[in-house]
Amino acid sequence: MPGGHVKLQSLAKRFDEVTAVDGISLEIEGGEFFSLLGPSGCGKTTTLRMVAGFEPPTSGSILLDGVDVANWPPNQRNVNTVFQSYALFPFLTVAENVAFGMKYRSVPKSEVTTRVGEALELVQLAGYGKRRPNQLSGGQQQRVALARALVLRPAVLLLDEPLGALDAKLRRTLQVELNGLQKQVGITFLYVTHDQEEALTMSDRLAVMNHGQIAQLGTPEHVYTEPADAYVADFLGVSNLMEATVEAAGVGAGPCRVRLGDFLLDAATGEVRATGDVKLAIRPERVDLHPHETVGANRMPGMVERLVFLGSTTQIFLRLANGAALQALVRNDGIGLPYRQGTPVSVALPADALRVLPDPGVSVAEIHDETLGDRLLDPAGAAPV
Amino acid sequence: MAGATSEVLSAVPGGASSARRRRRRGNPWRRPWALEGFTWLYIVWSIVPVAIAVLFSFNNGASQSTWQGFSTKWYVGNSVQSVLHNPSLHQAVVQTLKLSILTTLITVPLGIGFAIGIDRWRGRTSSSLNMVMIFSFVVPELLLAVALFLLVTQLLKFLTLGTTAEVAGLVVWNFSWPAIIVRARLVTIGKTYEEAATDLGASRLSAIRRVLLPMLMPAIFASAVLVFASTVDDFVIVEQLSSTAATQPMSVLIYSNVHGGLQGPALNALATIMLFFSLAVALVGFVAYRWMTRGERSQGATQALTGIAGI
Repeated sequence: MPGGHVKLQSLAKRFDEVTAVDGISLEIEGGEFFSLLGPSGCGKTTTLRMVAGFEPPTSGSILLDGVDVANWPPNQRNVNTVFQSYALFPFLTVAENVAFGMKYRSVPKSEVTTRVGEALELVQLAGYGKRRPNQLSGGQQQRVALARALVLRPAVLLLDEPLGALDAKLRRTLQVELNGLQKQVGITFLYVTHDQEEALTMSDRLAVMNHGQIAQLGTPEHVYTEPADAYVADFLGVSNLMEATVEAAGVGAGPCRVRLGDFLLDAATGEVRATGDVKLAIRPERVDLHPHETVGANRMPGMVERLVFLGSTTQIFLRLANGAALQALVRNDGIGLPYRQGTPVSVALPADALRVLPDPGVSVAEIHDETLGDRLLDPAGAAPV
Repeated sequence: MAGATSEVLSAVPGGASSARRRRRRGNPWRRPWALEGFTWLYIVWSIVPVAIAVLFSFNNGASQSTWQGFSTKWYVGNSVQSVLHNPSLHQAVVQTLKLSILTTLITVPLGIGFAIGIDRWRGRTSSSLNMVMIFSFVVPELLLAVALFLLVTQLLKFLTLGTTAEVAGLVVWNFSWPAIIVRARLVTIGKTYEEAATDLGASRLSAIRRVLLPMLMPAIFASAVLVFASTVDDFVIVEQLSSTAATQPMSVLIYSNVHGGLQGPALNALATIMLFFSLAVALVGFVAYRWMTRGERSQGATQALTGIAGI
């Protein structure tokens, strides 16, 4: 499907005293599933509402297939929204809800019925047309909202935390369905969520937002494995963050040597050329545990503080010799784990998994400008660090 | 067992005395006799006089205090004095209905417009207009009535005393009901539905007409009921602004005849008709409100009542 190309340029929104969106720029390809991810108050919903036309931007432009629509009213933009609260009209039937917008597109009456039927079939609600929204479950209402927007064949579909009000199991089912649906209709999806799992599993690309700015933009894999800073690493799920000092900066792309208390470790990814105080990040699934007092590269002694059984894995809370807390995730393979509270272990932090992140207190602004500046407008996103 | 308990209690310092204190204070879950008694007293006190007045409208005699058997002669039977045949009495019924219908038809649309207006209009002006909304709860009715009387007789002479002035006064006095009730419902509804409508292609005006007004229907209806019922009851304003006997509604006629003039159970019959109008309208409102909001969550009799009362 042609069209559906979105380009935001230095888009900003200020309410009286508060800056909700602080000059963001990004480009979404036609047919792409793009997510804005961030905690509440990071500006993601305001961004979406500006694209929808509910809020006029303070400055910047919104290009929809090359045309600046920043000051157009919502009813003239070829975009449709799926609201978190669904916003189905309670006094209309499901079919009337879906047909609502076609009145303004001068669709002939016979075609309206056909298209309503097709849209309801698309969201697997064929036969529900005569019901009222309140006779449907939350998941079904969400599908009606989806059908009501998709039936108008918009260039871009905006989704504002559409699964936020549903329970965890239904949410997972709908994630898969929504993704399949998007591939089927080929419409650009701009998806807003605070749920990192949702964003990671569904998106082609995503932007992690913080304080009205984009902290990092890229493919889910890229953002997950190569977080640009401690904020992104922390927000994208459990990540161990430790304070460390660089002893010897890396040469070229080689590893750098960092000090953690009395121990020296090699770190091979991230900002290996940084100096001074840095943060080290390592994912719990990359932490390896070995028997106490065995030797090997990049190891530190530690002690098991607590074990939490999670089903397929066990989460192990460790305390390292320098006092830092660390989590490890160990697969339950049926043999039983040899650890208990107080068991001393040798903790291996593989150099290729140990990531150097600049201390955000010092240089977050620099990261945004230098590291991300080039990547922001690059749809491929995954420029190697 | 009991002995063991008291031993344990007395072994704890202060245990025995606290048990005694508890006994003196009594059972906290006992029935609140005093409150129940007062409630019943209130109900009897407020309903019995009304019931007696209604009862004597069916008296088969001219007395308002001695029961002489059942009859409907004061409504239809008596060819001179019944409400049906006495021109001044049935004129009053017609005038009351006329005022109530006209006032409702004018006040409710005005109130809806006002409520939507100040809901959309942000800033200082809207908060001061908010104050205007509770105007009639603050200003004494008599003060407004006298002021309107002077206004109509001295300044706005085209508004002659009689039905025109009465309706104008009643509209001003009842304006708060639709304004407040519709506003409250607007706040509950929020802006999302309108946004959804414009998102789907509707202009702002079309969104109000196709989405907002249908959703406001329960509030519009509830306020119409309240305006109608309160106009039927109104006395102070219509008393000031009526001119001849032809423009006197039921309330004014009853008042001016109680202490002389026309007497007897025909007045009771008139008052009963007034009561019937108010009750019927309130009942219709209650049932219709529940029906209109049937799809909404956690609706119940109490909610319908508070909805009707605009709380």
